[in-house]
Amino acid sequence: MATTSKQYKAIGEDLWKGRSEKINAELFALTYGALVVQLIQDYEDYAEVNKHLEKMGYNIGTRLIEDFLAKSGLGRCADFREVGEVVSKVGFKSFLNITPTVTHGAPPPPPSPNRPSSINTLSQTSAGSSFTLTLDENPLAEFVELPDEALEGGLWFSNVLCGVLRGALEMVQMQVQAEFISDVLRGDESTEIRVKLVKYLEEEVPVGDD
Amino acid sequence: MPPSLRLNAVAFISPQNHPILIRTFSPQDDPIKYHYIAHTSLDVIEERVTSAGKSVECYLGLLYSMEDVAIYGYITPLRVKIVLALALSDAVVKDVEVTMIFKALHMAYYSAICNPFLKLEAANDTSSDISPFLLVGSPKWRKFRQRVDEISRVAGNATATTSAT
Repeated sequence: MATTSKQYKAIGEDLWKGRSEKINAELFALTYGALVVQLIQDYEDYAEVNKHLEKMGYNIGTRLIEDFLAKSGLGRCADFREVGEVVSKVGFKSFLNITPTVTHGAPPPPPSPNRPSSINTLSQTSAGSSFTLTLDENPLAEFVELPDEALEGGLWFSNVLCGVLRGALEMVQMQVQAEFISDVLRGDESTEIRVKLVKYLEEEVPVGDD
Repeated sequence: MPPSLRLNAVAFISPQNHPILIRTFSPQDDPIKYHYIAHTSLDVIEERVTSAGKSVECYLGLLYSMEDVAIYGYITPLRVKIVLALALSDAVVKDVEVTMIFKALHMAYYSAICNPFLKLEAANDTSSDISPFLLVGSPKWRKFRQRVDEISRVAGNATATTSAT
């Protein structure tokens, strides 16, 4: 297990270094900040803004996963625990150059014995699994200080990240719920995103021709 | 232990000569004194800048000294002026240390004005014509003040022999 973790870290590092098109961090932070402020001006309701940030992230995630799989060449993850490891050590690292700490959730309760299908056993045992990503630095929120209205309104400034996770994982047949639990911008101790597996999607998986 | 620099006050002034933030650190002085000092510094800065012509450096050096304080000036490329009041003491004040303090203050100002929510506040406040860059000094935005206080604390702790971290 420890070796695999180190391998993932190495893959992530290589992917980051191998990227020729990097963007200036300040430009990125300022652009995202301007985007959020514009959304606030347009919708004037922080819950709506959260929803739209998540939706935008979803659209980004569905496309980003293609780039990720092509460049990393990683195969299917064995279980949801591995998904967490790959997302934090390879995913975040290769796109944002940060490695959030991943904490795996408690294993879900055993499935009810009355489910007929045996193929679904694996997905049954995993549904309800979760992992939490703790970001100790957030490149999106580099210069941000939230005003009181945003704090009271419940704005999650970096909510686009939750959308990206949901979109990307949906493209690899996992339906997840990703949400912020805490954010240093709101005065909390740390910035945490919890990703919970709802179910595996039973779509037809195209056979890979490698 | 040799005496260290003591920051009495820091003042940020906009290109149009409006005050952005005036922060005082010496409890014994009336803060209004530093408003007055910042104001008089403007004339000296104007003079220095116009005489220097094209080749103006950011750090302006010692502008003048009064009673118990020495006033140093700094002007950013976009004409934001930073005025520093240091308590006069027997210790030799190194230029390089003062320059470092100014650079730190400049960076603190820069980080503060990059906050995207300043634009939002300025846009919502359609009654007055205040530029977002002036709003950054208001009590609502705590981080800028905290950074300035932090810089003052660190500068105050540094001794004359070692440079501030």
